Amino acid sequence: MSSNVDSESEDDFNPQPADLSDEEIETENVKPARGSSRAAPRTSSPAADDDHDEEDDDEDAARPTNGGAGKRPPRKASLVPDDAEDGDEDEEQEQDDEDEEEEEESDEDDVQGGHRRKRHRDRRAAFFDIEAEVDEDEDELEDEKDGEEDVDFIDNAHPDDIADSSRMNDDRRHRELDRKREMELSLDAEKQAEILRERYGKRAPARAFGDSVVVPKRLLLPSVEDPSIWAVRCKEGKEREVIFSIIRRVEERRGTKNEVPIISAFERGGVTSVMKGYIYVEARRQNDIMIALDGVLNVYPRSKMVLVEIKDMPDLLRVSKTPNLEPGAWVRLRKPAKHAGDLAQVIDVTENGLEAKVRFIPRLDYGVRDDLNSGMTADGKRKRPVGPGPRPPQRLFSEAEARKRQPRHIQGNPQTNYWSFMGDDFENGFQVKDIKIQQLEVKDVNPTLEEVTKFASGAEDGTENLDLKALAASLKDSNTNVAYVPGDVIEVYDGEQRGVIGKATNVQGDIVTLQVTEGVLKGQTIEVPNKGLRKRFKPGDHVKVIGGSRYRDEVGMVVKIVDDRVTLLTDQTNTEVTVFSKDLREAADIGGQGSLGQYSLLDLVQLDATTVGCIVKVDRESLVVLDQHGETKQVMPSQITNKFPQRKTAVAADRNGSEIRVDDVVREYGGQQRQGKIIWIHRSFIFLHTNDTNENAGVFVTRSSSVNTISAKGGRITTAGTGPDLATMNPALKRNPTGSNNPAPPPKSFGIDRAINHTVTIKRGGYKGLLGIVKDTTDTHARVELHTKGKIITVPKADLAFKDKVTGRPIDINTRGRGGFGGGAGRGGFGGGSDWAGGRTPMASGGPERTPAWGANKSVARTPAWSRNPDVSGSRTPAWGDGSRTVNPYDGSRTSYGGATSYGGATAYGGGSRTPAWSSGAKTPAPDGFGHGSKTPAYGSLGGDSWGAGAKTPAYGISAPTPGASGADAWGYTPGASGAFDAPTPGAGLGAPTPALNAPTPGAYSAPTPGAVSAPTPGAWQGGWGAETAPTPAASAPTPAASGGYYGAPTPAAFGAPETPAASGPRYTDDD
Amino acid sequence: MFFLHNLERRVTLHPSYFGRNMHELVTTKLVKDVEGTCAGDYYIIAIMDTFDVSEGRILPGSGLAEFTVGYRAVVWRPFKGEVVDAIAYSVNPHGMFAQAGPLRLFVSSHLMPDEIQYDANATPPQFTNNADMVIEPGTHVRVKIIGMRTEVGEMWAIGSINGDFLGCLQA
Repeated sequence: MSSNVDSESEDDFNPQPADLSDEEIETENVKPARGSSRAAPRTSSPAADDDHDEEDDDEDAARPTNGGAGKRPPRKASLVPDDAEDGDEDEEQEQDDEDEEEEEESDEDDVQGGHRRKRHRDRRAAFFDIEAEVDEDEDELEDEKDGEEDVDFIDNAHPDDIADSSRMNDDRRHRELDRKREMELSLDAEKQAEILRERYGKRAPARAFGDSVVVPKRLLLPSVEDPSIWAVRCKEGKEREVIFSIIRRVEERRGTKNEVPIISAFERGGVTSVMKGYIYVEARRQNDIMIALDGVLNVYPRSKMVLVEIKDMPDLLRVSKTPNLEPGAWVRLRKPAKHAGDLAQVIDVTENGLEAKVRFIPRLDYGVRDDLNSGMTADGKRKRPVGPGPRPPQRLFSEAEARKRQPRHIQGNPQTNYWSFMGDDFENGFQVKDIKIQQLEVKDVNPTLEEVTKFASGAEDGTENLDLKALAASLKDSNTNVAYVPGDVIEVYDGEQRGVIGKATNVQGDIVTLQVTEGVLKGQTIEVPNKGLRKRFKPGDHVKVIGGSRYRDEVGMVVKIVDDRVTLLTDQTNTEVTVFSKDLREAADIGGQGSLGQYSLLDLVQLDATTVGCIVKVDRESLVVLDQHGETKQVMPSQITNKFPQRKTAVAADRNGSEIRVDDVVREYGGQQRQGKIIWIHRSFIFLHTNDTNENAGVFVTRSSSVNTISAKGGRITTAGTGPDLATMNPALKRNPTGSNNPAPPPKSFGIDRAINHTVTIKRGGYKGLLGIVKDTTDTHARVELHTKGKIITVPKADLAFKDKVTGRPIDINTRGRGGFGGGAGRGGFGGGSDWAGGRTPMASGGPERTPAWGANKSVARTPAWSRNPDVSGSRTPAWGDGSRTVNPYDGSRTSYGGATSYGGATAYGGGSRTPAWSSGAKTPAPDGFGHGSKTPAYGSLGGDSWGAGAKTPAYGISAPTPGASGADAWGYTPGASGAFDAPTPGAGLGAPTPALNAPTPGAYSAPTPGAVSAPTPGAWQGGWGAETAPTPAASAPTPAASGGYYGAPTPAAFGAPETPAASGPRYTDDD
Repeated sequence: MFFLHNLERRVTLHPSYFGRNMHELVTTKLVKDVEGTCAGDYYIIAIMDTFDVSEGRILPGSGLAEFTVGYRAVVWRPFKGEVVDAIAYSVNPHGMFAQAGPLRLFVSSHLMPDEIQYDANATPPQFTNNADMVIEPGTHVRVKIIGMRTEVGEMWAIGSINGDFLGCLQA
């Protein structure tokens, strides 16, 4: 804006820069030869006056001479001290005739006078000539130019020239004096400035601040007196065009009547500019703008015009650095709509900086859609350029395909792999195109690694030619404001402070304050711009990936550093990733990308009703899940129906039947023999984790039945050695230490089901209460012919209550079998009890068969009493029969109760029902206890030989009777068993009641059924006890004999004592 | 590095164990609970002895007795820069995993001398310099710890065999 203003004023007067005059002088020096010819006329020409005004005259006089030469008059400096002035005048004289100007010039001359004299002397000193000669060349050029200008003056100048030169010699002394004085003055710049100001102060201030003087910027700022700037609306994107057309118009109308009355116009358009859609016009009056823009396309001066405030004016011209594109840089395309947003690489930038040659991956359909459209073209008038719809995917150009589809449109050279197809150029599969820089997105490109690698893999030979440097540059450009936070260890890799390493203490904008930690500057605090900084890490540092990287949120340890590329080993998956150090941050925490919403790595989730999976990878928005069939699939969090809570108690059995739990280490049997730690147990599948592989985060799935235990957490396998768990109940005091005193599994019946032909009532269901006769049975169900309806129905056996045909009393059909098999009648009786237990437990299918009543009946054979009084004797007789068992009516009753439930009377014995045996039976899976694994086997084994002898019987028998006799305590103390229990549990409960009783019982036990005991279930018992009674010799001893003792001992303890000491106590007392 | 460390821990005992030998049981439990565990940044290798078993206090609600037990234990704390002997247990192209007692180490292939290369064709796969150095599962290696990570109940280290006297241990 100001330039025009200045130019006006300059027309009047141009404050002559010292240089210019200097040059003139030099010019003269340079061309002494030419000057010499004119020297003569010149000598006369200079006005003789001391006054500068006169000098002016001199010059006027000199001009003609110059004109004659056709060039600036060269003069000999020595002869013509005023020459400099003349030169100046030559330029300006057209416009300048005023005295003031001349005065100024004279000032300048004075300044230059020094030079001149110097030169003068230089002439004498040979060694200065060299310097002078250097100047000559320049001056010559200048001279010539000036000469051209001078052409105009020629005519005017020459008449006085001679006179001037003649006067010159006279004045010379005076002038020199004058100049000396002036020079002294000029030495003090301020003073001189003052003078100048005085002299020219009245003139336009703008003039005073010519470009020769250094003027504080603030004085250059526009003021009210300056022309105003208006923002005029124009079509967005056409700003530059508008300006160009204005320029054209200015040119056209220059010198005509209707010159364009504006001072300047400019635009600050650009896609991202906030000033787009406007051009800015500087003019004195708003109306001038209207005139200037009248009829210009794309600009709308008639719409609202905004006057730019004075204080905003400087901002309009603020320079914003335009990003300079360099070959190799990454950009995004904006313009070919088909490629909008695609990444491109700059190959070259044109000289004028307006266009760039870029390469990108083409989106070609090889005319597939054109073909469709062509039909349309034939019919319709217009041809659609590119139909809307999905744009073809990015794919490298394929010559073969192009030939197939559009053989006519392709041409090129297979050697160079440079093709032209449908008007586009392709090189090595990439499309190459010149694109205006405005149509490229240069900032915030943020190329992802995937995109970039497409370019990299484009090389013919398949080698990776990924230029990480260019990538790094692009990335750096894209987010220059790398977030440094106080505490970061930073290295300066560029700039003055290069090599300095320190810890950031403060970050403010682009300035990072460093506390230097290494090197000579150690301890100092310096401030550096964040441009040349990078974060510094050491191998082994624990870092987290932040920022734009694909690996964001991964956490890992640094294993390698090359420049600003850091390789780290992730915590989650133990894979190595390489990222830029700017994307890293020291990680104080562990974890990282372990979770997405509520789902985190290694969680077990439900995918659908039948599929579960373990999360093996967590991405930004999706999860990768390994399902129970060993397949991985990618799912969205929304596809997950459920997440399983971690259950520490989940248990499975390995192929050996050993219990395995979460955190146990197992190995596959067969297959790949993979070994891993169990992380999930889901039904028959176990999910394992191993560090041996990174596949699926080290997770694999297998069936629990196909693994072997390697080690169990907490050493379960060897638990016996480490002692009891002191945080839970003393096992010895437990009612039902797992498996220890499990009642035998329900005896298996052989031959005809005993239930057949028995009279039963139905206990539940629609037929509840009805009486019938069992006609047929399966393992679980019975077909019952109802008395009432003459109808046969199928009822679960468990729902049947057996009745005595005659009396209608509940009976236990099983006891019969027992009695039969049982070694001792008494046992049998008690055994009934045990059966009973079976009866209660759902599993005990034999239950019904065993009803005490039944047993009792059978046993009747043996013990009259029993048979006679089923109710009472049922319980007692066996005991009696044994003798050993002493008396426990209660016990007896118990047993009977349990089993048959038929003993209505028995209920009285309540105690009986509670007997440990029951509870144990009911609660603990018998099978485990037995170690046989399942009930039935144990059962079977028992049943086979010895039902009678039956492991059970002894147990039962013992439990029932002994308590009566010996008291619950007895168990605890009984030789074998007691030992075991004593240790852990003082057996307070037991001991207290009846220590005295102990003595009797043991004997009793051992006596009665040694054989039976030993035979039947040693194994079973041991198994059960093993865990708990490990310490005690008796328990541990597997031998039958031991077990015999053992049984005697333990069972009681287990059953009688723990369960109902109180109950049994009283009972016994009663009895006794 | 191994240390003798005085520690303290609260041990609970089920009421059914109350009795004469309670203190023994407390000690037993302590040993069972603590020995061989990782306590943040060190492993408790063994308990030397216990002293100062406090009076038991019954915890309301559960009835368990809580004892505060002071004990002296041998602990092992691996340090950055420490050199440890370990046994490689897994070798893959990225590096090898090794175990130094309870501590698992990973030695990245970047942190091995340049001449040691992964050989996938060997069975089992190995790192070798085609001379005296062969690292395969089971090989004893001397490793310098360069980074540690501690998690609850677990420690994890990155090691290097890039240095003098590091790497394979001959017999």
